[in-house]
Amino acid sequence: MAKTVLIVDDSESIREVVNFTLENEGYDVLVGVDGEDALQFLDGRNIDIIITDLHMPNLDGLGLIRKVREIDAYKHIPILFLTTESQAAKKMEAKQAGATGWIIKPFVSAKLLSAISRVLR
Amino acid sequence: MIDKFRAKFVEEGLDNVHDLEEAMLLLEKDPTDKEIIERIFRAMHTLKGGGAMFGFNDLSSFTHHLETVYDWVRNGKLNVTEDIISETFKAIDQIKYLLEVGDVSDESEKQELAQLTQRIKGFVSSTNEDNEAKKGADSKREEDLSASTMEASKTYLIHFKPHTNILQNGTNPLYLLDDVQALGKAFVLYNDENVPELNELNPEDCFVSWDIVLNTTEVLNEIQDVFIFVEDECDLNIVEIFNGDILSHPKFEQIIEQCELGKQKLTAELLKGISWGGDENASSSEKKKVLLKEHKISSIRVASTKIDELVNLVSELVTIQAQLHLYAETNREPKMLDLSESIEKLTRQLRDNAFEISLIPLQNDLMRFQRLVRDLSKELNKEIDFIIEGGDIELDKNIIEHLTDPLLHMIRNCVDHGIEMPEERIKKGKNPKGSVIFKAYYEGSNVIIKIIDDGMGMDPEVILNKAIKKGLVEEGLDLSKKEILDLVFSSGFTTKDVVTDLSGRGVGMDVVNRKIGEIRGEVSIDSDLDKGTTVTLVLPLTLSIIDGLLVSVASGQYVIPISAIEKIIPLEDNDRKSIFNGVIKLGEEHFPVIDLHDIFNEVCGDEKQHIIQVKFEDKRYGLIVDRVIGEYQTVVKPLGRMIKDQEVISGASIMGDGTISMVIDTNRLIHAFGNQKIHK
Repeated sequence: MAKTVLIVDDSESIREVVNFTLENEGYDVLVGVDGEDALQFLDGRNIDIIITDLHMPNLDGLGLIRKVREIDAYKHIPILFLTTESQAAKKMEAKQAGATGWIIKPFVSAKLLSAISRVLR
Repeated sequence: MIDKFRAKFVEEGLDNVHDLEEAMLLLEKDPTDKEIIERIFRAMHTLKGGGAMFGFNDLSSFTHHLETVYDWVRNGKLNVTEDIISETFKAIDQIKYLLEVGDVSDESEKQELAQLTQRIKGFVSSTNEDNEAKKGADSKREEDLSASTMEASKTYLIHFKPHTNILQNGTNPLYLLDDVQALGKAFVLYNDENVPELNELNPEDCFVSWDIVLNTTEVLNEIQDVFIFVEDECDLNIVEIFNGDILSHPKFEQIIEQCELGKQKLTAELLKGISWGGDENASSSEKKKVLLKEHKISSIRVASTKIDELVNLVSELVTIQAQLHLYAETNREPKMLDLSESIEKLTRQLRDNAFEISLIPLQNDLMRFQRLVRDLSKELNKEIDFIIEGGDIELDKNIIEHLTDPLLHMIRNCVDHGIEMPEERIKKGKNPKGSVIFKAYYEGSNVIIKIIDDGMGMDPEVILNKAIKKGLVEEGLDLSKKEILDLVFSSGFTTKDVVTDLSGRGVGMDVVNRKIGEIRGEVSIDSDLDKGTTVTLVLPLTLSIIDGLLVSVASGQYVIPISAIEKIIPLEDNDRKSIFNGVIKLGEEHFPVIDLHDIFNEVCGDEKQHIIQVKFEDKRYGLIVDRVIGEYQTVVKPLGRMIKDQEVISGASIMGDGTISMVIDTNRLIHAFGNQKIHK
């Protein structure tokens, strides 16, 4: 069965490029425009991995990660965050919030896919 | 593949810039607003991230510095100053430019960019930043190096002991082992001595650790990369133990056997004792990257000249179609008539389509105006709210091109001459903050633009005196307020005695009037002293093809734009007699009429006449013509140089039979003759 990926990013072009790459690879893709929007998908349906941006309006990436980790059904699913900041501080913060790993923007599709395959089979 | 998204990113980037500009204008009003700062930061962040992803490297690195400034602001390390705001505005212009051109190549532009970058970097204490940037550059170089040099195979011992809570972050350690194995030849040994009894075992915790012996051609970095997500959630130790492959060494197998039985611990020292007789030959594999380029395009950019050409061709087609229709009708060929009708339908659709393509929203210009108001009011120490309504209205690009300068000028007028200084406004009992409203909306096939300010307004007396002094008008004439205000459109009129730096650059309202006239628009002005001024522009939606009503006046044929027409009334002889002083009474309705026979110096024939009722401003006017021939798609051709200055004809059109009919500009016609008693 195809794996389901939830992408959360407020930038349409990023969403599209990620969506395009993943659908091409045979993933089922769900798309949220910010953390708040993404939460609606966490209604018990099967989601295999979440990829989220950190800076977003309404509910940001960190907030989203914390919320996801509070929901029993999604407590252990891999969450990757997209970030341009290579500073360790930001990564630590996100890791502490419960993120599994990160993808540094800019990324080419190979990088995106390898990051996913690192945490999801 | 990425190409496909590049255009999208530019589009989105411009939206971000737009948003950024808007947020900056808000920030200026309240430099402490956290939400606005967050919004600015986010927009910059998106530009930076996307920029790098879609190959806008200059944009990305430039925005990076800008983002840092706002990151500091966000974290309270830096306060927003006027300086920062002004530089940011300049930076936004730069970003806009970078979005348009991609990376800069021109030397002087590069320098400009570097200077601006330097100034922006100056806002944050530079040391930190520089290191950061350098570090980034270094790691990049390393990456490049690792990709280009081929390493000989080496054997490593990796000790990997995840912390018990590693599963809670969604990490599966087994995947990591798979990844390590994927790097080369590997032997994995697990250690389960810490695993508790089943009844005490918490399935959400991890108790196992692993030792991996890996033979790989990859560099150490690559191995560390596998564990990058879990660095802080495990004990990791990677040691190089052998230059070459020892996995198939008989002694290695022995050691492993011992370890599996628990007799020995696998250590680096133990393995380092193994060696082959000779040197291992470096095996290297060739890496090849195949770049597949796809060309899928969802939207395209077209040179505007091509669109002009398209519209031109469509215009020609409309003309030819009219000829065809005429031919079919005169020869009464049923088949031909059918065809002609189908072609007419298609032509009409094609025409509408071509026009839609050349329409662009006013929005693009509006941001410029907003900037203008902001910059000017700063310069003049005035406080002004600039309010925009109807920015989504679309107009022909040719019209917008002609519109920008006049609009800029008029808005400049409002800010410079219209809105008073705050002290003065307080004295007058007005809100010290002036307002300039820009309003656009559709009315029939016209677009109306109003620029309304609540400034000092214009004094008719001052204008009249000035006009008399300038010799624009004779003394002693009894002029209405409207007529006096219209005087500002006469050439050589300017009310301000001192030419200020801003508006007094020789472009007066007369030029505005002329420019708007060139695109068949109308300017009118209304003003109340101390209350404010409203300038109204009435603009056509498009320039070259209109739906017209073909009428005849004596022997000539004329086209009246359908958009202006309210109704057509047959003129009975009795009614004709009721015309008095240029006003006709039809039923209960009174309205002024203009006899086109008078205007065009024709003699009334015996033919039955019609009144074409048209709308002018809020009033109705009647135009008396002879025959009404029918609806007609009119390709309006500009008049030649010699006759283009006359008032009432906006252009000419070639009919199907090759004759020429004049297109009447009803607004100007009524403007010129409506107030005169022309009916003898």
